Amino acid sequence: MNVSPAPAGLSSDRFREETAPVAELRAVTKRFGDVTAAKNLNLTIDRGEFLSFLGPSGCGKTTALRMLAGFEQPTEGDVLIDGGIVNDSPPFCRPVNMVFQSYALFPHLTVEQNISYGLKQRRPRMDRSEISRRVARALDTVRLAGFENRKTFEMSGGQQQRVALARAIVNEPKLLLLDEPLAALDRKLRKEMQIELQDLQRQLGITFVLVTHDQEEALSLSDRICVMRAGEVVQMGTPRDLYDDPKTKYVADFVGTSNFFEGTVLSVKEDMAQVELADGSRFEGRASDSFRETETVCLSIRPEQIRLTGKAEDGAIEVVVQNRIFLGEHTEYLVRHSSLGNIIVLAPRQAELAGTAFNQGDRAWLNLSREAMLVLRQD
Amino acid sequence: MRVYAICVYLFLYMPIAIIALFSFNAGRHASQLQGFSVQWYGRALKNPFVMDALQTSLMVALVSALLASVLGTLTAIGLQGMRGPVRVIFDGIIYIAIMIPGIVIGIATLIALVTVFDQINPWLAALWPEASEAPSLSMGMGSLIAAHTMFTMALVVVIVRARLSSLERDLAEASADLYATPFGTFWQITLPLIAPAILAGFLLSFTFSFDDFIIAFFVAGSETTLPIYIFSSIRRGVTPEINAIGTMVMLASLILLIIAQLILRREHKA
Ligand SMILES: Nc1ncnc2c1ncn2[C@@H]1O[C@H](COP(=O)(O)OP(=O)(O)O)[C@@H](O)[C@H]1O
Ligand SMILES: [Mg+2]
Repeated sequence: MNVSPAPAGLSSDRFREETAPVAELRAVTKRFGDVTAAKNLNLTIDRGEFLSFLGPSGCGKTTALRMLAGFEQPTEGDVLIDGGIVNDSPPFCRPVNMVFQSYALFPHLTVEQNISYGLKQRRPRMDRSEISRRVARALDTVRLAGFENRKTFEMSGGQQQRVALARAIVNEPKLLLLDEPLAALDRKLRKEMQIELQDLQRQLGITFVLVTHDQEEALSLSDRICVMRAGEVVQMGTPRDLYDDPKTKYVADFVGTSNFFEGTVLSVKEDMAQVELADGSRFEGRASDSFRETETVCLSIRPEQIRLTGKAEDGAIEVVVQNRIFLGEHTEYLVRHSSLGNIIVLAPRQAELAGTAFNQGDRAWLNLSREAMLVLRQD
Repeated sequence: MRVYAICVYLFLYMPIAIIALFSFNAGRHASQLQGFSVQWYGRALKNPFVMDALQTSLMVALVSALLASVLGTLTAIGLQGMRGPVRVIFDGIIYIAIMIPGIVIGIATLIALVTVFDQINPWLAALWPEASEAPSLSMGMGSLIAAHTMFTMALVVVIVRARLSSLERDLAEASADLYATPFGTFWQITLPLIAPAILAGFLLSFTFSFDDFIIAFFVAGSETTLPIYIFSSIRRGVTPEINAIGTMVMLASLILLIIAQLILRREHKA
């Protein structure tokens, strides 16, 4: 199916179109005056995947997205869509659609007119009946059938969000760009919309690129996540990769929660490194990278990988329970170690039911297994 | 305090109320009420001089307001795309144009046009095949329309600019993202959204032009607009007929201004 007015030269080469990644950034740098919003971005976006840009506010996620959409031109490097360089092609020539954070629905048009807007721009003109068929299908997809003649400002935030989605997907773009689409919704609605987004992506097979600062959102939705920091890509991988094998402290901290202990490398053996902490205690952990001896590193352990017991076991460290938060299926403990400071532990409900519950002020022991400890580069 | 406020309002509106009241006077003296009648309204509307002046005024107001709306809107859109010092300068010039007193615009336009006509007319006479039939440029409808357009265009620019800058950049971007060309975006998104502001600007321009006496006095040449007619009749004494004309002009202007305000207000809410 002919999807949208692709720039001449892109659609001509069918072979390239089908084998090349749907989009690609090659050594892309974007500067606004003195501010470098994106620095040497290199990434490929595969056909049909759900990719997220994750990072704190101001790290250049929106800029990356806007370069894919065509609203910004890279200062250096190339943006490719379907294997062709599109640096200078304006937004209306790119087979890409965007869902804006503000939704940017046209206030003077009805829901139906908003959704059909993209189809009506096509030349040669599309049949009226074909347009209304597709609009009806898009409305169905986002479960808004019956809202055709509403004005958009009469609708709730969640409904506006779905109109914005429908307005984009009705064009069957090669790439759907979403800039923090759920940020304006309340928590419960956000959860619902996350599930809907994921269903939608699977059902349509369109490549989604999502921008978010919400790690939970990125982890639950994406096939791949691209973690960004100050305009640069820090690490890219599947949610599981990033969670289990973060390469730096920044990623471990941003993707999920973790406990960090600073120390220096004593020795490295194969993929295990021995680290001495400031208080002289020594721990062994999996080395995420190749380290030199005496290098300053960070030991990281996830709260759910720590086992909290009431008896002193071999290699366990003694702590005092500071606080206990009941989270339903888990209980979160904040414990204090005399020299390591505060540590967060997540205990499963079963442990509680088995009788190992602790109260504030109780003494307890932590088992820090060497398999769960990660030695990370300090950054 | 309240008494003071009442005095101010009395002071402001008494003269207008008196004019309206005396326009219903049955007698022919402007200063003596002699019963109620609408006869002066009828007379005013039958007076061929009044109707002629009214026609001129309407023509000038309509054409100058149309020109001002089109030119002003284009200017506002052009300014919107500008950045930096150039924009600051042009913004300044627009505001100055609004603040300049009408009398200055009137005199300046008069002098400028007279100078230009003096230069051009000999050339026209020399270049025309039949020297005696050569057209000669002079003050009149053209100069009136030009002077009014100049003044009211600045109003339209300011009103449309306010509306344009309140439009989210996102809307134009969303339109471009949905495959609309820049012209398509202007036609389908920008124009419909600023249309109420343009209409309000048109109504205001129309009213300003229709009510203007000072500028018209200088540049009208042999044309007589309604305010000029009123001015020249008053020199022969105020009659209830003049009061009737004044009341009608005031009502018409007021209605137009209120409509313009309502449009702008509603726009603000949407
Ligand atoms: N149009 C612009 N002009 C100047 N600076 C900009 C512009 N757009 C973004 N920036 C800057 O680039 C950086 C990255 O911004 P952005 O991509 O919006 O970050 P994010 O979406 O991750 O919050 C910020 O420092 C921001 O101030
Ligand atoms: Mg952003």
